[in-house]
Amino acid sequence: MNRKTDIVVVGSGIAGMTAALTAAQSGKKVTLLTHGVGSLAISSGSIDVLGYVNGKAVADPFAAMADLPENHPYRLVGEADVRASLDWLKELCGKAGMAMQAGEGNQQLVTVMGTLKPSWLTPLSFHAEAIEDVLRVAVVSVEDMKDVHPGLIIDQLQRYPALAKKEFVKAILPNPIQQAHRNVTPLDIARFVERPEGLQWLKDSLAPYAKLYPVLLLPPILGMKHSQKIWEQLCSALNVKIVEMVSIPPGVAGLRLREVMKKALNEAGVYLVENTEVVRSEVEQGACKALTTVATGGENRWEADSFIIATGGLLGGGIGTAPGKAWETIFGLPLDMPENTEEWSSPSIFGDSLFARMGVKVNEALKPVDAEGSVILNNVRFAGRILGGYDFATEKSGHGVALATGWHAGTLAGKE
Amino acid sequence: MKHTTVVIIGGGATGIGILRDLSMRGVKAILLEQGGIASGASSRYHGLLHSGGRYAVKDNEAAKECIEENMILRRIGKECVEESEGFFVLTQQDDPDFEKPWVEACGRAGITAEQVDVKEALRLEPALDPTIRAVYRVPDSSVDGFRLVWHNAMSARRYGGEMLTHHEVIAIEQEAGKVKGVRARNTMTGEELRISCDMVVNAAGSWAAKIVQLVGLEVGVQPDRGTLIAFNHRFTSRIINRLHQSSDGDIFVPHGSITILGTTSFHADRPDAHDVPTADILKLLDIGEVLIPNLRSYRILRAFAGTRPLYVPKGAAAGRGASRGFHVSDHSEEGLEGMVSIFGGKFTTYRLMAEKLCDLVCQKLGVHAECRTAIEPIIESASPEMLEKAAKYFPVHGVPLAANRLGEAFPVVVEKAAAMKSNPLLCECEMVSRAEIEYVAADPASQNLTDVRLRTRLGMGTCQGTYCSLRTIGALTECNTPFAMSPADNLRDFLQERWKGLRPALWGLQAREMDLGRAVYAATLNIDGAKNEQKN
Repeated sequence: MNRKTDIVVVGSGIAGMTAALTAAQSGKKVTLLTHGVGSLAISSGSIDVLGYVNGKAVADPFAAMADLPENHPYRLVGEADVRASLDWLKELCGKAGMAMQAGEGNQQLVTVMGTLKPSWLTPLSFHAEAIEDVLRVAVVSVEDMKDVHPGLIIDQLQRYPALAKKEFVKAILPNPIQQAHRNVTPLDIARFVERPEGLQWLKDSLAPYAKLYPVLLLPPILGMKHSQKIWEQLCSALNVKIVEMVSIPPGVAGLRLREVMKKALNEAGVYLVENTEVVRSEVEQGACKALTTVATGGENRWEADSFIIATGGLLGGGIGTAPGKAWETIFGLPLDMPENTEEWSSPSIFGDSLFARMGVKVNEALKPVDAEGSVILNNVRFAGRILGGYDFATEKSGHGVALATGWHAGTLAGKE
Repeated sequence: MKHTTVVIIGGGATGIGILRDLSMRGVKAILLEQGGIASGASSRYHGLLHSGGRYAVKDNEAAKECIEENMILRRIGKECVEESEGFFVLTQQDDPDFEKPWVEACGRAGITAEQVDVKEALRLEPALDPTIRAVYRVPDSSVDGFRLVWHNAMSARRYGGEMLTHHEVIAIEQEAGKVKGVRARNTMTGEELRISCDMVVNAAGSWAAKIVQLVGLEVGVQPDRGTLIAFNHRFTSRIINRLHQSSDGDIFVPHGSITILGTTSFHADRPDAHDVPTADILKLLDIGEVLIPNLRSYRILRAFAGTRPLYVPKGAAAGRGASRGFHVSDHSEEGLEGMVSIFGGKFTTYRLMAEKLCDLVCQKLGVHAECRTAIEPIIESASPEMLEKAAKYFPVHGVPLAANRLGEAFPVVVEKAAAMKSNPLLCECEMVSRAEIEYVAADPASQNLTDVRLRTRLGMGTCQGTYCSLRTIGALTECNTPFAMSPADNLRDFLQERWKGLRPALWGLQAREMDLGRAVYAATLNIDGAKNEQKN
């Protein structure tokens, strides 16, 4: 099959969906090719913009952007576009009934490890500043939920000087979904709470704690599609402040955001192709003519005037590696890495590592360039973790870069 | 101050084997180990219970020892041995003239080496290169090094033996040419401990020379680094050896669902040279491909290195040329009474080494007691009733795994699981349940999450700790396990250990898996940033 649209976007993380949406909102016909579920399935669902620069905590990400290296994606797209992308997402989520809000500076989210994590734009249920004003906090989990241990969370939270004097208490709710030898994840409970009997269970189970503790810390279990409504209902019915904690995969809040964006894609008329993998590209005279995908049912060819590649990094499959070699996987663009693998990384797991910042080198229009800065593919843009120049993990900038570069690429392509 | 008859230095297979042997003979002994049990070479090798085929031509005596000990261990340590058998394979690159002398040498050593038709061998092991020229079947086996050492430790404790982990020996006290005692420092707390004793046994493996230096003597122990790769697949049913003069990268040992490829042999300048150079891995892959052509398509779980404590008397050959035999040294010959050392050797013969050394110790102490370690099973096997009972509290497939790992502690853990409201699996890859982890963590020998990992195999499987380490430190904090490190530090330490094994092989599927780990622990949980913000 051969199909032509104005723009083809590849990738189903925040970068790909944002690029597809913004391009479609400019009036273009857009096809979005996706292979897996993208990084939202494992993410916290909050937009971290910039938490640390060179290991130092950042209070205001925008003020700190000047300290980033010139090839950092934020420097390439510029502060104005980073802000514009955040406003755009805020509006999108607000309309969908899942309000996202920023604070004065970076907000500190509570994690199930009992650590605080800097983030910028977050759903209301994750805002944790209520803890500052109270003395007594209950840390809640559900029986058999192996990844959320209130004892651990309390032990670690009290290691922050500002939280050392708080009175934390453990609260374990009975497991409402009995399954022998099965892991009960926050996602299982969130899906249950989405149903009326689940919400009732949660309300009844929390009621005794709500009488004693003004703030309740919960795993992300407040439903899926209706999380904001559920959060508001519970807070008001129980007269407490409920705070959801950031948990490990499955990423409940990431999946909530993914649903919001998927619905928007549908409304914007984006042609979404799932479970398909790009296997070939056709490049003529420095421009991409078409991509070929393979899925059950055979090969398909996708022509377009321009392409946006948001295939992710090592984890997403956008970057391929072999001993001493790394490359971008759709066009086979080589990434500049040392031949000796030992030079790729720091001896310390969270140290400053080359591999963490490896990726496609692009110009301000996010088009790939060679060492001299000349554009290699003039109708192709890259967005998200496929880009080089930043380390999402230590900077806490993953979704922020994905959103800003996806927005920038989609908006520019939409104007062409 | 404590008092005992014998202080043993070194908690590897040899030292623990000696502790068990002495304890069974009624000699009081305390063992000191600077790290965790079996944290040195006893866990840093391929887990091959040699048939002796590898040594048949060059060192027929060592080969004989291997086959005899191999048969003994199958009997006394069956919970630790997977009777997988081995193939010796003559590839296109191997000298066909080696085949005949090898078969004869096996015969002389008492090793059954039965020729297998190449077609039949390829049917049994389809991952092998189809151009191989000859195949022999030998009684090689896989052995779980950690487990065997731990079972010996449990048995030793039952006989009254004592052991202290994370205790580094800092001095050996002497008076008038005779050993009086040992001073050690607890590496976790810094506290010092004195033990007075009649004898010291130095079984510190690659660290043995350091121990001997404490009394001003010198000895030819040469640490020799061997690198190994663990793959996340079992691509052969059997152990596969190259039929040639022993060399690098010529043994594949399958264990459960993984395979270990080893090893290299490089002179090391220190006993803890555990860093793995990428060059070693690439070399192993190149050589390994001769046997398994598809080798590079498998995900590497981790690479690791250990140091062989080669015994090299002055003027003898080092490296591959050095003998794999062992040597017992009585330091009274050098004017120091009450101290003996054991050097060299290999895991397969640990029991025999312990026996010979204990014979000498008993002779010097005037104790008349026979060695019984070759006859008495190391642990009592779990009864069918206990296995049936356990199935109520463990996933069915996890029952034999837990029973074999835990040995005599299995009934205790089953009781513990029965008393718990539920006993979830914390490590799904290796099927380790909460009851087992809590039991092991409460053992004084467990000082951190890494100690728990070594004993239970937690975090050693497919996820390499990405999922299980958080929930385990969570469960252990919940039940107030008194670790010296904070939970977050324990987790960082654990992840750092895993990182060490992955970093030199940072490509392909393993790089992808590692990126998930960074996403979870750094991007989502911020355990890197929190390090400087929380008290540890």
